[in-house]
Amino acid sequence: MGLAKNTGKTVTLIVLLQELGAAGRTVGVTSVGRDGEEHDVIDSRIEKPRVRLLSGSLVATTDDLLRASGIPHELLERTAVRTPLGRVLIARLRGSGAIEVAGPAAAADVRMVSDAMLAHGADQVLIDGAIDRRAASSPEVSDGLVIATGAILSRDPAEVVARTRDAVELVRLAEVGRGGDDGLALRAVAGRSLLLAQDREPVELEPRFVLTSDAAAIGRLLDASPEARRLTVAGALPESFLDGLLLALRQRRRELAVVVADPTRAFLTRHGPGWYAAQGVQIEVLSEISLRAVTVNPVAPRSHTLDSAELRALLRAAIPGVPIFDVLHPEYRGAPR
Amino acid sequence: MRRELDLTAVTPYADHMGDGLVQMSFTLPVPYSLAARKAALELAGKMGFEDPEVVHYEQLTAGYTYFVMYGRCVQTVDFSALRGEGFDIEYLSEDEIDRFAEEHIGRRIVVVGASTGSDTHSVGIDAMLNLKGYHGHHGLEGYRAFETHNLGSQVPNSVLVAKAIEVGADVILVSQTVTQRNLHIHNLTELVEMVEAEGRRREMILACGGPRVTNELAKELGYDAGFSKGTYPNHLATFIVRELAARVSAPR
Repeated sequence: MGLAKNTGKTVTLIVLLQELGAAGRTVGVTSVGRDGEEHDVIDSRIEKPRVRLLSGSLVATTDDLLRASGIPHELLERTAVRTPLGRVLIARLRGSGAIEVAGPAAAADVRMVSDAMLAHGADQVLIDGAIDRRAASSPEVSDGLVIATGAILSRDPAEVVARTRDAVELVRLAEVGRGGDDGLALRAVAGRSLLLAQDREPVELEPRFVLTSDAAAIGRLLDASPEARRLTVAGALPESFLDGLLLALRQRRRELAVVVADPTRAFLTRHGPGWYAAQGVQIEVLSEISLRAVTVNPVAPRSHTLDSAELRALLRAAIPGVPIFDVLHPEYRGAPR
Repeated sequence: MRRELDLTAVTPYADHMGDGLVQMSFTLPVPYSLAARKAALELAGKMGFEDPEVVHYEQLTAGYTYFVMYGRCVQTVDFSALRGEGFDIEYLSEDEIDRFAEEHIGRRIVVVGASTGSDTHSVGIDAMLNLKGYHGHHGLEGYRAFETHNLGSQVPNSVLVAKAIEVGADVILVSQTVTQRNLHIHNLTELVEMVEAEGRRREMILACGGPRVTNELAKELGYDAGFSKGTYPNHLATFIVRELAARVSAPR
C-alpha cells in the first residue's frame, strides 16, 4: 500500500519478487490498480518500472494485458470480474517476462483471486495497491502489509515523517480486548452501530447516522445515554463524524471509545489516531493489520530528492518496531525472513 | 505511392495511405519573425515529425506568433491489438437501452451522481443525468430505465455514500476535475474506499468522469469505468445496463 502515487510500491513489489524468486518460492501476483505500465497515468512524463515475472508464477490480470505480454501461459480460470481494462483471468506463466498486472478492484474479489492462486499452487500471493487505496490491506483480504512512503509527500523530511507516522498509527490501531470478555462481547455485535454502556441495553444508531450526523445530532445521542463509554461503528468512520463527535464530547466534558471493524474503515486525513486519543476519542479495531515493513522512496519524480539515510533514521526514531528499508539503496541487503 | 491499409501499423492519412501527414497548430510566445519560424520548425523536429513545414504563420499579438504546420509522423500503432472487452462496445440508443433494461433487469436502475469534494463544477454530471442533457441527447433522467438522483457539486463522500445506500443505488457516478494535485485523486479514491468500508462495493457500479479520466486512470482509482470528453448520456447508459445485466446473470 502506498501513501500516495510514486512512493515506490511497484519497485518494492519488484524487489520482493526477486527475493522470493531467489528463495525458490512460487509467487502469485495481482494488483488492485495496474502495475508495470510504461508511463504514469497522471503524468505521462514519469516512466514506471516494469514488472518481470518468472516462469511458473501465477498472475491475476486482464485478458488484454496477458495477451499483450506475449508470455506463454496456461489459463487456469476465467473469473466473472470485469474491470475497465478487461476481464480478469488467472494464469500460470510458462515463460518469464515483463507483464502489466491489473486485477480486481473490490476487496472481496481481490481475496477471491488470491485464494484461487494459492489453491493453484502459489506459496505466497503479493497484492499491489494503487495510489493511496487501503481496502486490500484489510485483514479480511491480506495477512500482512508493507507500506510505501517517500519524498513525494513533502519537500520537508519532517513532514514526510509526520504523515508516515500518522498513517502507520492508523494501520497499527490495537485490537480491542483481545481474548477478554470485553472483546468477545464486542465481536458478538460486529456489523451493528451501537452506543454501549456498562449494565445498560445498547442503543442502536439510526441507519447511516455515522455518515451524515453533525455535532448537534451526536450531542442528542450522547445525552440520551449519559453512561455510554463506547460506540461501535458497522461501516465507515468519516472524519466529519469525528469532528462532530469531538465537539459534542467537549461540550459535555465526556470521553468515548469508537470501535471499527479494522483500520481500513477509519477515514482520517487531517490528524492521526494519537491526536484524537489525546482529545478524548480512542479509536479501536476488532481486527488489526499486521504491518511487516515500511519502504522509503527518497526521490519525488520531476521534483526533489531527500537523503535516504537521514530520512530512514528520522522514520526509525518516529516509528519504532517496524523495519524500514530503501530497497534501492546500496546498503539494502534484502528483507529478513 | 499507394499502399494497402495495414491495421498492425496505422499512421495518419492525408493524401495517400501511410503518408503519416499531420496538420497542427500552436502559438509560441516569441515575436513574429524569421527566427520564430525557425524555432517552430526546430520544435516540430524535436516532436519527432519528419519534413516539418510551416504553411502559415502570423502575429497573434505583440510578442506571440501563431503557426500552422505540416509534418510527417513516422510512428505507427497496432490497431489490430486494440480489441476485446472495453473496445468493442456498440452504443445503444435511448429506446434500445430502455428495452434492454426492461428485458434484462426488469426494474428501474437507480443512479446517484455528484461532483465530489471541493469540485465546484457540476456540468459533467448535469449533462449525464438531467433531462436537458446536452447536444440534443437526453440525460438519464429522461429514460424510462433510470431513476436518477443528482446531488450537485461539492458533495462530501460520506454524504454521497449515505444517499446511495438510502435509495438503494445500483450506480454511483462522480465527476471530478483530475489534475496532478493529489487532493483531487484522493477525493476519488476515498469514495471507493468508503463504499468498501460500508461493505457495498460488489453491489454498486462506480463510474467516474472528468476531462482527463481514462479507463486506465479509472482502474487505478478503483472504479468500474471512466468517462471523458465526448461521452454522451447513452454511452454511459449503455455501459450501465450491460454491466448490470452481466452482474445479474453471473453473480459473484
